[in-house]
Amino acid sequence: MKNGLRIIAVSIALCSSVAFGASNISAKKAIDGANAAYKQVAKETSYQWTVAVGAIKAAKKAFDKGNFTEAEALAAKAMKLVEATKLQAKIESETWQMRVPK
Amino acid sequence: MKTIIQHLAFGLLGLSVSVTAVAGPEEDRKAFQNFYENRFPDTPVNDYQNGVYSILPSAREQWQSIEEFPPYELSVEAGEKLFHSKFANGKSLADCFGSNGAVREKYPHWDKARGMVVTMERAINECREANAEKPYGLKKGKIADVSAYMSFNSRGQKVNVVIPSDDSRALAAYEDGKEHFYTKRGQLNFACADCHMYTAGALYRADTTSPGLGHATSWPVFRSKWQEMGTLHRRFGGCHKNIRANPFKAQGSEYSNLEYFVSYMSNGLEFNGPAARK
Repeated sequence: MKNGLRIIAVSIALCSSVAFGASNISAKKAIDGANAAYKQVAKETSYQWTVAVGAIKAAKKAFDKGNFTEAEALAAKAMKLVEATKLQAKIESETWQMRVPK
Repeated sequence: MKTIIQHLAFGLLGLSVSVTAVAGPEEDRKAFQNFYENRFPDTPVNDYQNGVYSILPSAREQWQSIEEFPPYELSVEAGEKLFHSKFANGKSLADCFGSNGAVREKYPHWDKARGMVVTMERAINECREANAEKPYGLKKGKIADVSAYMSFNSRGQKVNVVIPSDDSRALAAYEDGKEHFYTKRGQLNFACADCHMYTAGALYRADTTSPGLGHATSWPVFRSKWQEMGTLHRRFGGCHKNIRANPFKAQGSEYSNLEYFVSYMSNGLEFNGPAARK
């Protein structure tokens, strides 16, 4: 009985650590990806949104606290904001002159 | 053959249209000022130097009463002391800018040797550095005090920004500033022109947006929100934060070129800084 409980406890611990590790890796990957994309867009276009920076920072903070699911979600949000920044830069490069009074 | 000539003729016609479509700085300035004249027909052009109060009669009286005991007065006094303080080498800012620093009309200007726009705040710090002194901070504090003193002594001078025709880089800097002014940025997707041209005078929350014409005349400014003085580049940064865009570095090329453009648009108006603003 005692051995059975030990086996169950060890199994749970192993399973959770595997799940924990996977989440850790994917969260880190998501944060690094968002960060790299942010820097690339900033370098290429000079467009930078404060909210994208805020989302990346919040993702890092959640990661440091061990909240990997939250960290990954925030990194995904940051990535969407970076993509929107890039799209804004593209649209504006083609349309800003429409605002110049003639 | 006839077809070829027709094609050439259409091509040349198209070229002439595209050439005339690209306006030079002077055409830009006239169109810019005309825009405000049409939008606010009751405001004389010279009054735009008073910022939002030129189009907001309800707040003008209150602002005028503030100007009777101006909150920037202490800054002007502090700036005067700093301006005449001796550097370690015995010189002072007066050696760079004359006895009272009344040189506002010379800035911003194009520095051909370095290929860049030089603002008055940059020139103040360059004077210090040339005399082996540390530069001031770029957005508030001593830089704003010295700028306030020099601007105060320059009141009445007219904005007269020149874009030298013999240096294409000057026009490029102007065009860069122009693009910045009309380009939407930040998550809120605003251009300078959105707030300060097309919706100038509208309420954004509790604040009325000022017209872009005259934007560069009254700096540095004591803002009630800041409860202290700040430079134009500080305000540029604040605007960018408001629209959720990362601000650029004060005195960097982005804001210096923007100042170059905005100042050029106000050519002919009087410098009347420092000023009090909400």
